[in-house]
Amino acid sequence: MMEVVQFLFNIVVVSMIMNIAISLYGVFARPSLIKKIIALTIFGDTINLMVILIGFRYVEPNPLPPILTTIPPTSIDISTFVQKAVDPLPQALVLTAIVIGLAVTLFLIFLTIQIYRIYRTTNVKKIAKLRG
Amino acid sequence: MNRYIHAMVILTLIVLTIVLATAFALGGITLYLPPRNVRSLAEIFLNTTFNLEYRISPMSPEAVTAIVWDYRGLDTLFETSVMFLAIVGALTLFRGLSEKLPQEETEYRGGLSVIVKTITRIATVMIIAVGASLALHGHLTPGGGFQGGATIAVAPMLIIITFSTYFMFRSIPVKKAVLLRSIGLSVIALTTFLVLIIALTQNGTAYIFQNQPKIHADYGIPSYLGDTIVLGGTLLLFNAAETFAVAFGFIALLILITVPEDYAKTIVLEGEE
Repeated sequence: MMEVVQFLFNIVVVSMIMNIAISLYGVFARPSLIKKIIALTIFGDTINLMVILIGFRYVEPNPLPPILTTIPPTSIDISTFVQKAVDPLPQALVLTAIVIGLAVTLFLIFLTIQIYRIYRTTNVKKIAKLRG
Repeated sequence: MNRYIHAMVILTLIVLTIVLATAFALGGITLYLPPRNVRSLAEIFLNTTFNLEYRISPMSPEAVTAIVWDYRGLDTLFETSVMFLAIVGALTLFRGLSEKLPQEETEYRGGLSVIVKTITRIATVMIIAVGASLALHGHLTPGGGFQGGATIAVAPMLIIITFSTYFMFRSIPVKKAVLLRSIGLSVIALTTFLVLIIALTQNGTAYIFQNQPKIHADYGIPSYLGDTIVLGGTLLLFNAAETFAVAFGFIALLILITVPEDYAKTIVLEGEE
């Protein structure tokens, strides 16, 4: 049973590593700026997923969301909360990272639109040859 | 032929993933295991997020919002400013586009059909209500300023698609959106000093970014209303202001990104001369 869990977890992690490899290929090798931006968002989302995954380690078997439901809590409530809730720190970091990623992606798209309007192309190899 | 190569590449990647995972599992290796003491950090946060015994507790039942705006508040303040810089950069790139936009309006009075427009009117109100609920309950349930703002930003996108950019521009011009965004950011900046200002008017001492009373600083924003309603101190103010800032920042960007291409080209190429 443990082997199967290990295998499934390994599949998730290996596919995320593959995802990172493919998106880095996209960022470095594809000439189109739009495809670079798409690859960059895939890269960012995969990293976010990996960070979120840290919060779910060592909370077994069924993690709870990091929210207290009884107000005001007794000491028993708090101790079960500490044992069973997922780590809130990665979630807090990812939350801001997503919104900032959205803003930065919008900025890159604006840049690409402007480049297209002026040079009539989004191919970085052609833009490099323009010398202007 | 090309299609077969693509299919082969995808198949190879899938097979490689499964083979690698199996090899690691048979070798007894579970990938990506952080050390066990990552959990101890989580335990500190979870133990103090709503604990009446500790004097450093931010008194928020939701641990994520407590971390975002209390434990790591300064961090979030600067992340907000990074986002502000990205939006300012985008506005600078498209400068001069939005000023003459309303004069173009007479040429085009379109939009989708009446059915779509009516449904969009209803859906917009509902989206804004959901966004406001996410933001104002950010210290109680999953949600907060960033999520609420991003949800509200969907509504102007729908309006732009069904009614037209000009309609959106007439109700909220880019300059007004940027102004409202700046107001949201100033409220965030004021809230960081709010407890300090309260303490100084009463001849006391307090920290910057203080939420609840601490050991050497006995001031704070009330955390309770009555016995059961949790206000969350400064967290509520931060969430509301952040929603404002995020939503109006995205409204400004969405208007600029949907400026008609023919009109934009004339402005951009004129600037090159």
